[in-house]
Amino acid sequence: MTIFSTDHKVIGKQYMGLALFSVLLGMVLSLVMRFHLVHPDAKVRLFGALWPDGAPGGQMTPELYLSLMTMHGTIMVFFVLSTAPQSGFGNYFLPLQIGAHDMAFPVLNMLSFWTTTASLLTLLAAFFVEGGGPLSGWTAYPPLSALGKITGPGQGLGQDLWLAAIVLFCTASLMGAINFIVTVIELRAPDMGYFDMPLTCWGWFVTALISLFAFAVLVAGGLLLLLDRTAGTSFFIPGGLIVSDQIQGRSGGSPLLYQHLFWFFGHPEVYIAILPGMGLISTVLSVFSGKKVFGYKAMAMAMLAIGVLGFAVWGHHMFTSGMSPYSSIAFSVLTLAVGVPSAVKTFNWVGTLWGGRLRFTAAMHYALGFVSLFITGGITGLVLGQPGLDIYFHDTYFVVAHFHLIMGVAAIFAIFAGLHYWFPHMYGRFLHEGMGKVHFYLTFVGVYALFVPLHFAGFAGNPRRYPDFKEYEFLQPLLPLHVGVTHAAYFLAAVQLIFLANYFWSKRRGALAPGNPWGASTREWRDD
Amino acid sequence: MTNVARTGQTVLIVASSMLFAAFTSAMAVRRAMGGDWQAPALPAWVWGTLLLAPIASWLVHRERLKAAMVAGSLLVASQFVLLTNLTMASIGDAFCAVLVASHAAHAAAGVLALGRFGARAGLFWHFVGVLWIYVLFVFGAWA
Repeated sequence: MTIFSTDHKVIGKQYMGLALFSVLLGMVLSLVMRFHLVHPDAKVRLFGALWPDGAPGGQMTPELYLSLMTMHGTIMVFFVLSTAPQSGFGNYFLPLQIGAHDMAFPVLNMLSFWTTTASLLTLLAAFFVEGGGPLSGWTAYPPLSALGKITGPGQGLGQDLWLAAIVLFCTASLMGAINFIVTVIELRAPDMGYFDMPLTCWGWFVTALISLFAFAVLVAGGLLLLLDRTAGTSFFIPGGLIVSDQIQGRSGGSPLLYQHLFWFFGHPEVYIAILPGMGLISTVLSVFSGKKVFGYKAMAMAMLAIGVLGFAVWGHHMFTSGMSPYSSIAFSVLTLAVGVPSAVKTFNWVGTLWGGRLRFTAAMHYALGFVSLFITGGITGLVLGQPGLDIYFHDTYFVVAHFHLIMGVAAIFAIFAGLHYWFPHMYGRFLHEGMGKVHFYLTFVGVYALFVPLHFAGFAGNPRRYPDFKEYEFLQPLLPLHVGVTHAAYFLAAVQLIFLANYFWSKRRGALAPGNPWGASTREWRDD
Repeated sequence: MTNVARTGQTVLIVASSMLFAAFTSAMAVRRAMGGDWQAPALPAWVWGTLLLAPIASWLVHRERLKAAMVAGSLLVASQFVLLTNLTMASIGDAFCAVLVASHAAHAAAGVLALGRFGARAGLFWHFVGVLWIYVLFVFGAWA
């Protein structure tokens, strides 16, 4: 296996490796944050050694907490959720499933992976520069993100590196999207029409289309923000702004303009994370029900509808920004409309199971877990999509719980399902079924134990991004809840060791798999 | 031109159009909200570069690639000169600089693509030409 390979299978595996490293790092960061939330005064020598400025004497500063949060979000959203399901599985299996020899542009594919790697390294470098990682969250709202060091340690070079990493990531994703789209349009086998493609391919195709439109806009927002930071422009910095008792000599910029650009990308990004999973789950449910996907065409059209609607709902992230109530209603109605194709998909997943001869393999467990998480995480989206409710829930843990379930954990369950399902193809061996099921049940319990209580914290008005709850009287009654959540996080992290053990053990020692172990009808199993 | 090359360029053109659409809409919003808008004062010679785009496209069409690359390089060079005339403190100039620099990046990529892929990269080059007319229209007739 050459490092700079142009083979789509190798590149797919490389993307999966990058995502695995990223998810472990992101998880460790979240554990450190959860630890800090329940032990805000703890002096931990390791923190002091790792971050001498961020944790002097081992005592974590609020700024370090925010930088951990920023890096956790950025790593997970970009290098895990946007990478593994699309670039990882997609690169490996799209050409095989449509009967192509490789992606349309193999060299571009290789460049895309290495640009993503350069982006990750640039982001991680932010930890090691003066001031450490940036503090302004994965959304990097100005003016906090636009003014440099004066707004905090990490807002200097750390924020510059963050922006450079994002622009690099967008470039890589655009290259990837072009490759996916052209491959689907031009390299399908002669006997394969669009509506003959497996739903996995529809997932990757629609995701690539979304990426093409969304990442180009994030590049624009990111470049303008970079210019505000480095070239003295005022795209996003308002006039007369005073920070740390110093007036900032800019005029006329609009922080809201950045929010529009960001969320025009940011909301479709949710679907970039989840749509490949939807396609994958449809296939897994179908194979292990011994039936064709129920309502295939409706499933493909629902993905397209979600993709299109996704570009018309960004304003629901900005209900509290002072927008006109008429705009709020428009964004709200469109947001709630996403529930229609989502419900079509859920109905058809159940329809696929209905009357089937179900085989409860580990992959099937994860697929069913995905459907569960998609419903529980999605239903709170309907709550947050209503301006009246969102004004209360905005910036609380209710939002954190919502997007972790739908975008984070559901997508991760799809990745687990995909790994169990395709491992025999990728490595010629099975992942251990028993370990897989034990891992599934413990993870399933763990994620609900972690995220359901956070909804209640949101009900109680618990704001996100606060590093020390005991400083606020109204949050003190919630401390026991957070202790429970933190223990759930420890538990959840610990049970991931089962998956890691299974992954590395099975790669070398797992039971040998025959050519088409699950009795599937898609081409990747035929070609091998 | 193969189907893959044509479709690849078409998809790339969609992505690039989206980038310029994002910059343009940001400019429209910023212009309306800021209250400090000043249109950039473009030097008169810039309008001469409008001719370079169709000339280069015509040369590509006639498969006179080296001459087209010279015309393209002249366009990029003139864009660099224009960039040195803009001051980032004025928001109109700043937007102009962003669009011109983004276009210069596309034009430079177009010239390199002509060198590497020849007339197969023609579709992208025609797009670069149309895009330059668009950029000058934005700052000449509207902003």
